[in-house]
Amino acid sequence: MGKRTIIPFGPQHPVLPEPVHLDLVIEDERVVEAIPSIGYIHRGLEKLVEKKEYTEMVYVIERICGICSFGHGWGYCAAVEGAMDIKVPERAEYLRTIWHELGRMHSHLLWLGLLADGFGFESLFMHCWRIRETVLDIFEETTGGRVIFSVCKVGGLRKDVDAKTLEKMSGLLNGIKKELQELTDVFLEDRSVKNRLCGVGVLSKEEAEELGAVGPMARASGVAQDMRMAGHGKYLELGFEPVVETDGDCYARCKVRLREVFQSIDLINKAIDEIPEGDIAVPVKGNVDGEFITRMEQPRGEAIYYAKGQGTKFLERMRVRTPTNANIPAMVKTLQGCDLADVPMLVLTIDPCISCTER
Amino acid sequence: MAVFKIGKVILRSLFKKPATLMYPIKPREWQERTRGHIEINEADCILCGICAKRCPTLAINVDKAARTWTIERMLCIQCGACAENCPKKCLLMKPDYTSPDVVKVTDTFNIPDAEKKTEKTSAGSGAAPVCDRETCIYCGICAKQCPCNAITVDRKEKTWEVDENVCISCGICVEKCPKNSLKID
Repeated sequence: MGKRTIIPFGPQHPVLPEPVHLDLVIEDERVVEAIPSIGYIHRGLEKLVEKKEYTEMVYVIERICGICSFGHGWGYCAAVEGAMDIKVPERAEYLRTIWHELGRMHSHLLWLGLLADGFGFESLFMHCWRIRETVLDIFEETTGGRVIFSVCKVGGLRKDVDAKTLEKMSGLLNGIKKELQELTDVFLEDRSVKNRLCGVGVLSKEEAEELGAVGPMARASGVAQDMRMAGHGKYLELGFEPVVETDGDCYARCKVRLREVFQSIDLINKAIDEIPEGDIAVPVKGNVDGEFITRMEQPRGEAIYYAKGQGTKFLERMRVRTPTNANIPAMVKTLQGCDLADVPMLVLTIDPCISCTER
Repeated sequence: MAVFKIGKVILRSLFKKPATLMYPIKPREWQERTRGHIEINEADCILCGICAKRCPTLAINVDKAARTWTIERMLCIQCGACAENCPKKCLLMKPDYTSPDVVKVTDTFNIPDAEKKTEKTSAGSGAAPVCDRETCIYCGICAKQCPCNAITVDRKEKTWEVDENVCISCGICVEKCPKNSLKID
């Protein structure tokens, strides 16, 4: 048994896009314990609800995260709509589902690229991001922004998408599907990739449940938990079923996300076929009085939105519990006993978004 | 297990056009909906100040006395709330981004006075607010808040009048009325 050493890891680290700091207690090359600390990027966005009108706050909430910005906007609107008892039109719900799934695609493709970058496969990284660019182009054409969309508002949506654009979107997505199939083969079958992912950082189903893991992290360990089954949007009508893998290692987490991208394409295509004509927003009168909690499935896992108002145009309290927050205990667990060289991989496979977590 | 699975993709990429653009030699193509920057059509502006009130980042400043409309480009987040709420639709979201700069840019536009008056008279086509005299307490808040001074309220005489030729149907009075006595159809 070697001498114990503590190695500081982060907040600035080449493979980590997010500022998280870990104190790694290592023996020889093996990590015995990992102590995470966050707090480098707190921006006080939740406090801003006291200063911004509840209708303006959507633009702020969207900026919690650049990757799941649509999901955050939708989650906030859903919480406020719930508190005000507003029923959003059918077409708006379909469009929200489509945009949210596009958001999931671009988040997962970004993550797949970062994973490839993490194990040093630079060309795979570039190809993932090349494919992601098509999704961003769809976003720019339909919403006007590449990562910050500003289309969600309390009561519905600000912009409609015509049938021609939806058809074009469907064609582009089928193109992505073909290209991604080739990259899926690389991720799942290439020997060098499998050497880095298989059997690394195993999280059992019991551990995932006990530590409260959410999203792809939980689903890769066999926990069939997905908030899209809870009834927001049009997922139940579209016949959504959660993607579940049972191995619980990095390879399974990669597989879950790859399968989810294909699933998102199918969901969007189905939504485009079924989308009804009609209004995209209902007029909103009055102020929020009361409180409401809503749960959404973000690309990274379950997020909780809480809104409380007291009849004024400012909310009294807004709270967001983000998926990374819930996944940190599971990450710490998988880090115990891993090789030092695998630490970046393990931190990456929870898809950490510290900006979301700290807000 | 396979080795060099990515070979096919790489080989195809070798003979394809690059996925990237030779920026800035080849300019970027903007989409019709791209939220690039806000532009103002000065001739139509009536300095009502709704844009400044609706801006979530306080990037817009409307000075009625100096007749200027100012936007701080670095503060603007391109949400489009101002353009959406502008009663005269004189604010436009243009697709191209503002050019990169090393200093924070503030653009000030002078709003011409002469055009404004002719605009006012032609603007009277919209619906003017209607007051419910039973609930009105003649507090005068609507008159104070009106961007065009179209409303006159006399507390002693208990009169409430709106000049329909001047009113721009912006709805501020309806929003500000403490008794919800005003209505615009």
